[in-house]
Amino acid sequence: MREASRDRLKAFLTLLPSIILIGIFVYGFIGNTVWISMTDWGGDGALALEPTMNFVGLANYSDLFTGFLSSGFRQDLVNAVYYSIMLLVGAIGLGMFIAILLDQKPKGEDILRTIFLYPMALSFIVSGTIWRWLLAPQGGVNVLPTYVGLPPLTFQWTSSTKAILEFNWQNLIQIFLYIASFALILVGLWILKNNQKRAVKYWLGPGIIVGLIAWFGGGLFPEALFMEETHGFNLATLGIIMATIWQYSGYTMALYLAGFHGISQDLRDAAMLDGASNASYYRHVAIPMLKPITISAVIILSHISLKMFDLIFAMTGPDNAQTGHPALNMYMTTFRANDFARGAAIAIVLFMVAAMFIVPYVVSQYRQRTKG
Amino acid sequence: MSKPTTTTSRITIGTISMYGALFFLALFFLMPAYMAIVTALKPPAEINLSTAWELPSKFHWSSFSDALSLLKSNIVSSVILTVCATTLSTVLGSLNGYVFSKWKFKGSEFIFTLFLFGMFIPYQVILIPLFQTLRAMNLYGGLPGLILAHVVYGLPITTLIFRNFYSQIPTALIESARLDGAGFFSVYTRIVFPLSIPGFVVTGLWQVTQVWNEFLWGICLTRHADNPITVGLAQLAGGQAVSWNLPMAGSIMAAAPVLLIYIFLGRYFIRGLLAGSVKE
Amino acid sequence: MANVEIKKVVKKYGPVEVIHGVDLSVHENEFIVLVGPSGCGKSTLLRMVAGLETLSGGEISIGDRVVNNVSPKDRNVAMVFQNYALYPHMTVRENMGFSLKMRKKSKEEQNERVMEAARILELEPYLERKPSELSGGQRQRVAMGRAMVRKPDVFLFDEPLSNLDAQLRTQMRMELRKMHMRLKTTTIYVTHDQIEAMTLADRIVILKDGYIQQVGTPIEVFEKPNNVFVAKFIGNPPMNILEGVCNVIDGKRFVVIGKTRFPIQDGVAAEIVDGSPVLAGIRPDSIKMGQNVERLPKDWWCHGEVVVSEILGAHSLLEIIIDGENDLLAEVEGRIVAHPGETVRIGFEFDRMVLFDPETKMALY
Repeated sequence: MREASRDRLKAFLTLLPSIILIGIFVYGFIGNTVWISMTDWGGDGALALEPTMNFVGLANYSDLFTGFLSSGFRQDLVNAVYYSIMLLVGAIGLGMFIAILLDQKPKGEDILRTIFLYPMALSFIVSGTIWRWLLAPQGGVNVLPTYVGLPPLTFQWTSSTKAILEFNWQNLIQIFLYIASFALILVGLWILKNNQKRAVKYWLGPGIIVGLIAWFGGGLFPEALFMEETHGFNLATLGIIMATIWQYSGYTMALYLAGFHGISQDLRDAAMLDGASNASYYRHVAIPMLKPITISAVIILSHISLKMFDLIFAMTGPDNAQTGHPALNMYMTTFRANDFARGAAIAIVLFMVAAMFIVPYVVSQYRQRTKG
Repeated sequence: MSKPTTTTSRITIGTISMYGALFFLALFFLMPAYMAIVTALKPPAEINLSTAWELPSKFHWSSFSDALSLLKSNIVSSVILTVCATTLSTVLGSLNGYVFSKWKFKGSEFIFTLFLFGMFIPYQVILIPLFQTLRAMNLYGGLPGLILAHVVYGLPITTLIFRNFYSQIPTALIESARLDGAGFFSVYTRIVFPLSIPGFVVTGLWQVTQVWNEFLWGICLTRHADNPITVGLAQLAGGQAVSWNLPMAGSIMAAAPVLLIYIFLGRYFIRGLLAGSVKE
Repeated sequence: MANVEIKKVVKKYGPVEVIHGVDLSVHENEFIVLVGPSGCGKSTLLRMVAGLETLSGGEISIGDRVVNNVSPKDRNVAMVFQNYALYPHMTVRENMGFSLKMRKKSKEEQNERVMEAARILELEPYLERKPSELSGGQRQRVAMGRAMVRKPDVFLFDEPLSNLDAQLRTQMRMELRKMHMRLKTTTIYVTHDQIEAMTLADRIVILKDGYIQQVGTPIEVFEKPNNVFVAKFIGNPPMNILEGVCNVIDGKRFVVIGKTRFPIQDGVAAEIVDGSPVLAGIRPDSIKMGQNVERLPKDWWCHGEVVVSEILGAHSLLEIIIDGENDLLAEVEGRIVAHPGETVRIGFEFDRMVLFDPETKMALY
């Protein structure tokens, strides 16, 4: 008994250095960044070892979201949101499609898998450098059509100033309400066929109410800015999105392929005997079964897109306005402009957005582990 | 006994379109690699946007030696960094995984969850305190500070991979070793460690690729003399009047070590890749 | 309902032939059990009927239709798998209704058929649960329900009970039998368990190494095995096989095994004459003890020495040596308390003795 408890003490002591390191370097540092973001640390003398820091509350945040000079950050944030959505749709869609093709056991499956996955092994700096060359306006991808007799493309991949899906930042609150209403109604319709009562009571009803409030109350909401400021989906980010999809759809392919291979042959046979065609096997059996994999892919890809730094740095440099991203903005603000407090505030905004995905995910995994 | 079979092996529209789709996708995925190789092999004068896709008239190998001389110190830094950071984070991850899977105590799952969370944070959020702390410890600018950062933030993933790996070792094996008189450390050295070689390969390869490819800390935490390869390459490619054969040759050299691992030890690489997302 | 005709069916994996020209007629409404040791080809044969394996030769027809090139979903057969192959992300209701949904049946019909199957199988309380929330027996019933709602021409079962514990297996076996009596659907059932084969089958097909050894009713294969393999495979404990020579003594034939003599019945196996080598097969349950010996003719009695005895509740299992040299297993009625070394009186039902040719291992009747 004494021996056993001494062993358990040893186990704990083995873990202790890592606990301390993670405690300080992850949780302590996050707390410290929160604190820094509420100070005015920056400007001259910022790099002193004991810089002067005064508490300013949430001033840095309100400046980021409503300050006249921070429209660049707001566009970066909008870019990051569009970028995440496009990457999720593109990489999951393409990865799933390739996985389904490879699941048909084509000849040369091993080689094809290697080809689709090798970009994952590359550094973003390497792939960014190569893609930058591929997307040069008068060359690369743009001249490809000439090889089949078509005129060359003229799209300015990473420097186009065109934007679509624009909206006015002044109406931020209204837009948030519309998005919330849309999401609620979508979930409600999803649940409707299984549980009508719950769908109407908790999702559809509130969704319609929120939507109506946004519609009729539009003019009553306080405006986020004193002047009109439009943000939208900058077409210049398309090149970056394409490069990221190129790099990461192999990853989702590997996830789904592992999932498909894990489905027993009997289940596949059963679906065939039940009358499912190949397409309906994937639609009704395989892909719904792999929902946990889809969730993992969503979490990991959104985490990657929210902290994306290296690829954009390599493709367009750190200060290209059209393809900005909060992660680059944070770097420029902190290490080039020495405005540490503002950099910290940007980092915390990024962290909060990421936490919305990650906390529920990590908590649900914790529940699963302690339950089983 | 029963093997999967397809009912017919005739050529159908389905199989033709499948191979067609796979062919075009493979082209799309190989396009950047082709471009990098072709451009790296051209003499600077021959590099021209409108003929970028064409093969070089003559192989021009000196781009590689030129890029190598420019990136030599970066490569040395990256090798030292990768070896040290991988070794330390893998060994610590193995010990942590051993405790988390075989010596669970009250709250250990919770602590493990706190570890996991560290894997998913955007690193920008710890960058400023990390920068300050390394300066205060006199580690800013050089490799030791960068190694420290890679070891600490590598712990969540290495711990996760080893924990999942060790949970496949039957607990009965550990219990019988304890009945035979083995304690905490002798169970690890006699039973667990000898069974861990594949775990070390998977984790080690994963860490090598991560550390070698990392850029954010490299650019924020090291001075010019100790910049890792990714930073060196970004600077090589970042200049405005850049002649593209050098960055392409540099890219190929920066990619080569990890690509070789991937091609020859792909199985282990994929296991690391999946470990980050698939739970148990 | 339909009959199934299997004609000269061959299966090869590359150069390796695993099924060598099997012929079998399954009649309408019949319950056929394919039984054999693992690797005998029984599952492969079943999967060829389902269309999950291609044929390398021969022909399979269901009803009047040759189905060699018909895809599994168009054969109108339903299959129950060993591990049940339930869709883990669907509820019991969705699992059972999936095939109807795939066949674009109306919502009402789907619901009606699922409810009917659920009622028969007593699954109504579990319709909204996922398979992971069910016990092994319930999952088994869902798998059967999924097959039932299809109203298929043929049911195929691939060792459906082997993942259940012994008690549940007995219970499910009876439910299967009842289900077949009610639905009368033609059924092909694969198992390695000869008790399942004996209790469920209208006819048993015994397979070994890709060849059919015998087709017959349970009683036929038990009492009149075609060869030594069938004799030993069917029945537990297995048949005693003793090697001897035929001798004619006073005009009567005997199998002589050392000092032991077993009388051969008149009219049996006329080809066995004086001096023929022969194998004698004695079922353990054809050996009698105690009162039951009295009912046998006196010259079928003898004495033996008990080596070991086990009491199995209603009957007992004994290993007995007769004439000091021939070892036999006996399964006798009642609880026989016998000590090792004790001498007991036993009797043989020699009219049930089966003789085999030691060369070909074929039975001689």
